[in-house]
Amino acid sequence: MGESSEDIDQMFSTLLGEMDLLTQSLGVDTLPPPDPNPPRAEFNYSVGFKDLNESLNALEDQDLDALMADLVADISEAEQRTIQAQKESSQNQHHSASLQASNFSGAASLGYGTNVAATGISQYEDDLPPPPADPVLDLPLPPPPPEPLSQEEEEAQAKADKIKLALEKLKEAKVKKLVVKVHMNDNSTKSLMVDERQLARDVLDNLFEKTHCDCNVDWCLYEIYPELQIERFFEDHENVVEVLSDWTRDTENKILFLEKEEKYAVFKNPQNFYLDNRGKKESKETNEKMNAKNKESLLEESFCGTSIIVPELEGALYLKEDGKKSWKRRYFLLRASGIYYVPKGKTKTSRDLACFIQFENVNIYYGTQHKMKYKAPTDYCFVLKHPQIQKESQYIKYLCCDDARTLNQWVMGIRIAKYGKTLYDNYQRAVAKAGLASRWTNLGTVNAAAPAQPSTGPRTGTTQPNGQIPQATHSVSALLQEAQRHAETSKDKKPALGNHHDPAVPRAPHAPKSSLPPPPPVRRSSDTSGSPATPPKAKGTGSGGLPAPPDDFLPPPPPPPPLDDPELPPPPPDFMEPPPDFVPPPPPSYAGTAGSELPPPPPPPPAPAPVPDCARPPPAVAKRPPVPPKRQENPGHPGGAGGGEQDFMSDLMKALQKKRGNVS
Amino acid sequence: MAGMKTASGDYIDSSWELRVFVGEEDPEAESVTLRVTGESHIGGVLLKIVEQINRKQDWSDHAIWWEQKRQWLLQTHWTLDKYGILADARLFFGPQHRPVILRLPNRRALRLRASFSQPLFQAVAAICRLLSIRHPEELSLLRAPEKKEKKKKEKEPEEELYDLSKVVLAGGVAPALFRGMPAHFSDSAQTEACYHMLSRPQPPPDPLLLQRLPRPSSLSDKTQLHSRCTQEPRPLCRGSPTQDPPPSTLRFQAFSLCVLLPQTDPVRLTQLYEQARWDLLLEEIDCTEEEMMVFAALQYHINKLSQSGEVGEPAGTDPGLDDLDVALSNLEVKLEGSAPTDVLDSLTTIPELKDHLRIFRPRKLTLKGYRQHWVVFKETTLSYYKSQDEAPGDPIQQLNLKGCEVVPDVNVSGQKFCIKLLVPSPEGMSEIYLRCQDEQQYARWMAGCRLASKGRTMADSSYTSEVQAILAFLSLQRTGSGGPGNHPHGPDASAEGLNPYGLVAPRFQRKFKAKQLTPRILEAHQNVAQLSLAEAQLRFIQAWQSLPDFGISYVMVRFKGSRKDEILGIANNRLIRIDLAVGDVVKTWRFSNMRQWNVNWDIRQVAIEFDEHINVAFSCVSASCRIVHEYIGGYIFLSTRERARGEELDEDLFLQLTGGHEAF
Repeated sequence: MGESSEDIDQMFSTLLGEMDLLTQSLGVDTLPPPDPNPPRAEFNYSVGFKDLNESLNALEDQDLDALMADLVADISEAEQRTIQAQKESSQNQHHSASLQASNFSGAASLGYGTNVAATGISQYEDDLPPPPADPVLDLPLPPPPPEPLSQEEEEAQAKADKIKLALEKLKEAKVKKLVVKVHMNDNSTKSLMVDERQLARDVLDNLFEKTHCDCNVDWCLYEIYPELQIERFFEDHENVVEVLSDWTRDTENKILFLEKEEKYAVFKNPQNFYLDNRGKKESKETNEKMNAKNKESLLEESFCGTSIIVPELEGALYLKEDGKKSWKRRYFLLRASGIYYVPKGKTKTSRDLACFIQFENVNIYYGTQHKMKYKAPTDYCFVLKHPQIQKESQYIKYLCCDDARTLNQWVMGIRIAKYGKTLYDNYQRAVAKAGLASRWTNLGTVNAAAPAQPSTGPRTGTTQPNGQIPQATHSVSALLQEAQRHAETSKDKKPALGNHHDPAVPRAPHAPKSSLPPPPPVRRSSDTSGSPATPPKAKGTGSGGLPAPPDDFLPPPPPPPPLDDPELPPPPPDFMEPPPDFVPPPPPSYAGTAGSELPPPPPPPPAPAPVPDCARPPPAVAKRPPVPPKRQENPGHPGGAGGGEQDFMSDLMKALQKKRGNVS
Repeated sequence: MAGMKTASGDYIDSSWELRVFVGEEDPEAESVTLRVTGESHIGGVLLKIVEQINRKQDWSDHAIWWEQKRQWLLQTHWTLDKYGILADARLFFGPQHRPVILRLPNRRALRLRASFSQPLFQAVAAICRLLSIRHPEELSLLRAPEKKEKKKKEKEPEEELYDLSKVVLAGGVAPALFRGMPAHFSDSAQTEACYHMLSRPQPPPDPLLLQRLPRPSSLSDKTQLHSRCTQEPRPLCRGSPTQDPPPSTLRFQAFSLCVLLPQTDPVRLTQLYEQARWDLLLEEIDCTEEEMMVFAALQYHINKLSQSGEVGEPAGTDPGLDDLDVALSNLEVKLEGSAPTDVLDSLTTIPELKDHLRIFRPRKLTLKGYRQHWVVFKETTLSYYKSQDEAPGDPIQQLNLKGCEVVPDVNVSGQKFCIKLLVPSPEGMSEIYLRCQDEQQYARWMAGCRLASKGRTMADSSYTSEVQAILAFLSLQRTGSGGPGNHPHGPDASAEGLNPYGLVAPRFQRKFKAKQLTPRILEAHQNVAQLSLAEAQLRFIQAWQSLPDFGISYVMVRFKGSRKDEILGIANNRLIRIDLAVGDVVKTWRFSNMRQWNVNWDIRQVAIEFDEHINVAFSCVSASCRIVHEYIGGYIFLSTRERARGEELDEDLFLQLTGGHEAF
């Protein structure tokens, strides 16, 4: 992407394009598969629009305003002025184009902060962020400052947060998403949109929501390689998209959603792994009876110390010899650093051991039916291979145990050695989830917050306070929604502008999209080819016309989303909210909802959009409400910001305008 | 009162003469004779002694030591009768605190004042407080090995002795921090140096010395080590307090460690690290070759950091966050308007490497050697072309290095700079060698490959430092390989370059040549190169703790009903019965199942009862029962402590658990 560096115009378009992608993918996922993004759904619940609706609604607006104000405040006054000036100059173009667009862009008016949001919205709504100017000034005012919060102190902090957010948004724009077909144990399948930051835990949560299963800790995502006849469960902390990207295009591999008690067996009966006295029967009996308290202390001892304890495991296993069909029996030992074997004629003291394999680069799989396939001595096989290897290869290690119990011990032992404490953390999270399951509908959000979030570290700080999931997508959608609300309000204020939603206009922004560097986010729809939602397609619709959105712009909530999959049916109860989302394809869920409540409002003309910024996660927004008013008055960091920023801004503005000009 | 006489000079009361020797050095030098009666209180006697000596001096630390009974007379309100003191008692009047020489885990000697009159546990606690080591219950003192001491006396060079004997801590108060160290260390340059010695890791030892030091060669040797442990609640010195005790060794003895907080206890962390290191170097704990390389790499890294004075904060916090942070700071700058670099540019451009390299792909039945290719390395992908002209076209091969294994194959003196890549692909691993012309080129490509293997690009902020690190290694290897076979350098010379022999246990010195060792250590080093000093130490300790033999103290015992000696291993959670000859674990009992343990001090037998009426009894051969008893009691004490999590030590409980044999 570096090519266009000097040309700000281009850069901007790139940015926009990315936005597009993002939105498209959002749109996509909304459409076909029942809303895959868990966070979003959760968000719904937590906010409880329906239930609390109006009052909340109002609040929401305020929040939005607050957000705007925040963002605006960050820009020095001088800057604002310039912007305004610019805007005025650009007014002409602006008018034609932006007017229609302006409906929504209340959000846009936010200036940097909202910018992204605005763009995002615009795609749906079709209005591009028109060069901003006036809105900037106006908007901040409109929102009646709801609650006077003592935010001034935190301003500096807030600013930093905002910047972070902005960057995150930027990143988010590039988020890769996959549509994944998950096979359920009743032979049905569900398609899910999984974004690149989602961990297996998030996906599971998502599935829990859809399937109404009991959410117990044994549920797992399970990958199967039919070709190699191996399978394994995803660890909850694993990044799903990452794993799936290792699959080949024509793979037969499948993802299953099922219960496997082996997944956390060690935490349920640690004594079977830690206290096993190799084959002595007497111990077995006592083991079964271990009481809860002892189990707990055993676990604490093993997993909560400065370092975890890997179960002592050793014994003879069969090893498949490279490239041959013969299996050789060797004495193996498990240590924290890897699997070792005792070379011929040596003892099993540490100094004589030879390293068989270390765990950094391999995953462990169960082998199925290897007795048939590879003439293994038994069917209790496990396999170690680099996750990227998909075909038979000498780099895959096959091992075979005498019985199921040994197999489970080895697999679990290796997982403990490989993942360490993470495994325990995963388990605790799973337990928390399971515990909450009953209250899930009410408290959905809460547990959502609990699961570790994907790598997006920094943002957590801001988001977390509300206990909401920091998921970017989610926040975006929330933002969108808010933006929309805001738009509604603003519309009231600016009746004149209102109701112009020109579908046509919106396209202007999309143009850049074509130039966008990032190709459709979907790298591969894995085995889900079936899912209609693939991003590219979405994109097509999006750019093509977004007609849909504008048209029904006020999407009647009810229109049942086009469901292609069986999935939809189940969700209904939970999904009360979501449905509206689905309806209008392009507008993300919130758009839908918002629409239903209020007529599509013409938002005030948006502010310039240069900096990525962002849609801030709803929670944060909620907190901020009071800010707005004060912000305006207080030119945050007037001094410094002026120079560089202005330039930057104005460049972007120009770019925007240019673009708009072209289009219109 | 005592001393009433008749006119003739005869004593008419029941008083008698008590002779008390005064002084530290020479007991015969001075003595006072008092007239006392059986009813005299110790306090009164003390008073009289001081009066008689008639010297102005601070006597507050002085007390009376009863030599025959090896007992301090500390209860000043007791009468002589109550103590049972008669005229034949040899009493010494001397200070309770005296300087002792203590050998620390890092093998440095320290002179400090320790209490001779308090129970050892308290004395150790006081020492720890002085050294600012938290959790004194984890440490104990080891008597110096007696016989071996003599042998080595021959030419033990006069070693530096750190002196803390002048430092006296006010009781009760936690030492405040001053200039980054506890206030009492900042008094003088000398004490400051001492603190540095305590809190910073020492350079690797001279390999020659390492070979000379005694190493346990068998399990029974190990029992010797542990038999020297003294955790007895008895005063420090067992001989007269008036003789200087032999140097003792301070050692972490309890192996269920409390949480390590690098920030709050640098001394404890460092000393633990040192102990771990010496354990490994002296083969007191066994590890495999692979593990040793990791340990060596960590030592090397730690040494490098501590020498370069980077004691401070982490080199890499979370690598994943790096780029974001950098981008953030960029953006921040931007917003402040000071630096007009454009953010988007830095976010979007990814540097790439292009060059002519010689490539070799080992294949079956090919003898072709390296061939010149035009190689382009962009993001995480390596592509090579026949020539530069063909670059725009399709490459001969394209490899995504993400997840690949990067192995340096370098011989500096031979001017061979190869990078071996094991790139995973769906079909297996493909092997490819890149041969660079010189160090510079090698460093750049190597750094790129390493980052790529972790999924990061050369845009990552750590790229430059990685390049530097690689260059530094190369130069090291040049100096290091100077005298690999024979190491004529003194310890000083070896501290400079990488002398691998100082980092590994002697048996690896015998097994490998330095030339072979260096690359392996460096290879392991690349995984830890990003760690900060404290992190590296922590990692070292964790790896040490995960060794299977970690934390087991060995005692030679004879089980009841058995005719041969066996080894009893005492770990922090279990007792292990080990076959002396083979080293196999025969049976394990866990403390959590233990009902009670009893020691019959007369027949030196320990009897333990476990749940379900399992009874075990053994007599101790290599050490006294006391040690076994103290270990068990100590571990049980520690496990209660873990639950309570309090900082305060329940001293009584500790004494109760580990004591009990006083009466005998």
